[in-house]
Amino acid sequence: MIPSAMASSTETALESLHHIKSTEPPEWLVPKQELSQAVRAASKLLFSSLKPYCPKSPFDQLLTEGFDVEQIWQQIDLQSQPLLSSLRREVKKFEKHPEEISKLKDGGVGGGEKKKKVLEQIETDNVVNDDEDDDDMDMDEDEDDEEEEDEEGEEEEDEEGEEEEKERGTEEESENEGEEKGGIEDKFLKIKELQEYLEEDEAREFGLKKKKTKAESKKEEEDTEEEGDDDDEEDENEGSEDDDDEAEEEEDELGLFDGNDEEDEDDLENARYEDFFSRKKNKSSKEKAKSRDMLEEDSGSDDEQDVDKRKDGPSKHEKELDKLRSKIEEMEKANLDPKVWTMRGEVTAAQRQKNSALEVDLDFEHNVRPAPVITEEVTASLEDLIKTRISEGLFDDVQKARTSSSKAPREIKELDESKSKKGLAEVYEEEFFQKTDPASALLTFSDELKKEASMLFKKLCLKLDALSHFHFTPKPVVEDMSIQTNVPALAMEEIAPMAVSDAAMLAPEEVFSGKGDIKEEAELTKAERKRRRANKKRKFKAEAAKRMGKKA
Amino acid sequence: MSTEAAATMEIETVPSESKPESNPLPPKPKFEPLKAHEMSDGRVQFRKVSVPPHRYSPLKKYWMDIYTPVYEQMKIDIRMNLKARKVELKTRQDTPDISNLQKCADFVQAFMLGFDVPDAIALLRLDELYVESFEIKDVKTLRGEHLSRAIGRLSGKGGKTKFAIENSTKTRIVIADTKIHLLGSFANIKIARDSLCSLILGSPAGKVYSKLRQVSARLAERF
Repeated sequence: MIPSAMASSTETALESLHHIKSTEPPEWLVPKQELSQAVRAASKLLFSSLKPYCPKSPFDQLLTEGFDVEQIWQQIDLQSQPLLSSLRREVKKFEKHPEEISKLKDGGVGGGEKKKKVLEQIETDNVVNDDEDDDDMDMDEDEDDEEEEDEEGEEEEDEEGEEEEKERGTEEESENEGEEKGGIEDKFLKIKELQEYLEEDEAREFGLKKKKTKAESKKEEEDTEEEGDDDDEEDENEGSEDDDDEAEEEEDELGLFDGNDEEDEDDLENARYEDFFSRKKNKSSKEKAKSRDMLEEDSGSDDEQDVDKRKDGPSKHEKELDKLRSKIEEMEKANLDPKVWTMRGEVTAAQRQKNSALEVDLDFEHNVRPAPVITEEVTASLEDLIKTRISEGLFDDVQKARTSSSKAPREIKELDESKSKKGLAEVYEEEFFQKTDPASALLTFSDELKKEASMLFKKLCLKLDALSHFHFTPKPVVEDMSIQTNVPALAMEEIAPMAVSDAAMLAPEEVFSGKGDIKEEAELTKAERKRRRANKKRKFKAEAAKRMGKKA
Repeated sequence: MSTEAAATMEIETVPSESKPESNPLPPKPKFEPLKAHEMSDGRVQFRKVSVPPHRYSPLKKYWMDIYTPVYEQMKIDIRMNLKARKVELKTRQDTPDISNLQKCADFVQAFMLGFDVPDAIALLRLDELYVESFEIKDVKTLRGEHLSRAIGRLSGKGGKTKFAIENSTKTRIVIADTKIHLLGSFANIKIARDSLCSLILGSPAGKVYSKLRQVSARLAERF
């Protein structure tokens, strides 16, 4: 292409860009041929302006005539993706080495003014295009149903918007980083602290030996990071398979080898055959480190020797032997050590740690039935039972046991708390009469009162009956309540008892005043016999003590 | 006097005809019991009972109630010596029994201690009644308030505890400040004394009542 033609086309493209900017958002709603043409031209311009920055893009310019929207978008994408990654790299580089930015600027000055202009233009465009981007997004949502042309136009606009966004984002980032390049350390990511933490972590895991080896092999920050990761991987895998081991080795060597930051990510992302399966010079050192990791100290030295002898590393069989050996040693050690308290048989609280029984699930016989778990079913069943019982009226009430009323009700002698009206002489007189003349029963105080009361009541009832009944009723016979005293029957009947008889007025059960079961000597059990004897002895002792007390 | 006594003495001679053979032993004499006068060879016997000042006016009040049974039924002479503040008792000729004098003396003594006349009369009528006295300090040494409280416990409210004991044990009790006098038969006195002692020692009245009930029931069944 002729530069003049190019210049004119760029001018027209710029014009079209301006035109796009100036159009009001509502105008985008209706598809316009003029607008889509302008957009195509603008995107072509942008494409070509960005071309020098992406080394790998296959297109020299954006081909828009006769191409589908999708195809145009794919072209843009092909260009922008590697461009973005390269920009990211550049940004990171600038983070670490801020002085290079100044170099870039100098180089930029030497370059085409056009580019600078374009850059400036793009910057200004980006600043202004915020609103447009938002509108684009909105329009995309609104107009999905329209025809192909509309879709093309919209998608082109979208692509443009997105591209501009990306460019703006990266530009801003680079600007920001240019300004704050020294300040990356002040933010939350502190590279040196990260390094220290990783070292500590690995030291804790592997022991100090590993730290030394790491210190030896460490060259830069990213190396240690990668090594840390790799060592972790080593630990996990335990070098069981050859391929994995070699892969890890190679990764370590990768770390070792890479002095430059730029290459690191590239290498990790684009791993090559040489990375995995060629280098054998640094194997021995790496293996030493690995061997210390995996094996015990005692066997470590042996392994080292073996390793030194061998060229290819320990074979599968040897590895298995090592494993077996380590297992055996573990078991021997466990056998020699004093057993855990749970395995020791009878252990008192003093012989085990405090609260150690809480952690162990002890098994012992429970003589008590465990408390029932109250579930909804249990409560429901209980309630049903209660309901049925209530409806039936079947309550488990305690029935009062009625005492057998065979015995005559005993007279309870009440204590008279008033001054006795009879003199003492009269009292004894009455007593004497009772002794000699049994017929004269002594009426107690309560009996007299009761008698009086009953008499009064009977009189009252008689009068009331006479009032209420029409028919004549004769006076009722007043029955006298007489108390049966336990007196010989003959004595009652005869005035002067000529003969003495054993027959008493009261039956034996009326006389008897014992409680409960009376057992004969022969019927007692051994325990009861002992109890009786013990009671007797106790009483005797009490009386003896009392007597001694009296004497003294 | 003595001749009269001699005249009354009769000597019953067992008829000698009952024994056909010669009776070496003289017939058994039969004597009537000695009278009070004959006992001391015709001399009179005296008893003197001093009157405490607080019983002076009750004595004056109940003099006739005391005098009548003593003189009429016991046939003992009784008089009050105002100067000496004593009651004097003397046997008469027709005093049937020497023990009458002692009984009368006991009767008067009981009255002086504080018992009522109808209660003290029982002494005249029954042989086996006794008067026992003891002090609170014999049971437990109490001082001041404790002593007052003990006396209060013994009597009870309105005397009901004392009466309860009296009625259940057929005794009579007189509480004279710190002295306690009991009148009754021997067993009853024992029971009453036990109750009183438990009260002095501090047991509540209810406890004493329950014991009394048991005891009295047992006593009642005994006859």
